[in-house]
Amino acid sequence: MSTAAVAARRALQQQRTRVLYRKALRNVLSWAVHRDIFYVEAQKMREQFEMNKDLSNLETIDRLLYEGESRVEKFQHPDPYIVPWAPGGSKYARNPPVPSEVITVVGFEF
Amino acid sequence: MQAARSSTLRALHSAVLQHLRVQPAQIGSTWGLFRAISAEAHAQGTCLSRSQVADRVLSVLKSSAKVDPLTVSETASFQNDLQLDTLDQVEIMMAIEDEFALEIPDADADNMKSTKDVIEYVVSHPRAK
Repeated sequence: MSTAAVAARRALQQQRTRVLYRKALRNVLSWAVHRDIFYVEAQKMREQFEMNKDLSNLETIDRLLYEGESRVEKFQHPDPYIVPWAPGGSKYARNPPVPSEVITVVGFEF
Repeated sequence: MQAARSSTLRALHSAVLQHLRVQPAQIGSTWGLFRAISAEAHAQGTCLSRSQVADRVLSVLKSSAKVDPLTVSETASFQNDLQLDTLDQVEIMMAIEDEFALEIPDADADNMKSTKDVIEYVVSHPRAK
């Protein structure tokens, strides 16, 4: 394979690890609400990622990423914590802004 | 006599009311005020000042276990100055999200490579607390 294609594949793998780690940490945060428990569990998650830090074979990394993604999928929290105003949160689109076609006339007398 | 007094009283009354009466505002300014409060039009960014945001971001970085507090500054790059690898950077972004009650999407979080990027992002986010 050409070096550019290899570099592109590695960059994609790096991005996939970042996305996977973020999803895993958010999952851990949803499951372990108490912060002291969260820090312990987050450290364990980090160690699992660190175990495979020094691999360089593209196929192995792809396979491990696939396994990691399916594990995160399996342990997904059914009611994850999402910031209220974000999509999926409880306050999302609660007060949508009034469309500009609606005109308010001030001083309208019946 | 009675009529004259009541008419002057009425004139005085209306003159006083003229002073005290609030003029109805133009439609544009009322609408502008409403749109300024609503979240959609608040494209200017958060109500926090830049120095407040910078202080809080720096304190988050300094209290993180993986960062040497002496190397933290407003223009510190994560990779070069603070010696953070990719997983550390993800953890730092999660800490920033916790600090400011934000939800940072993946594309934005991957683009932030220095403290300055983070501060700019938070200052321009309308929902940062």
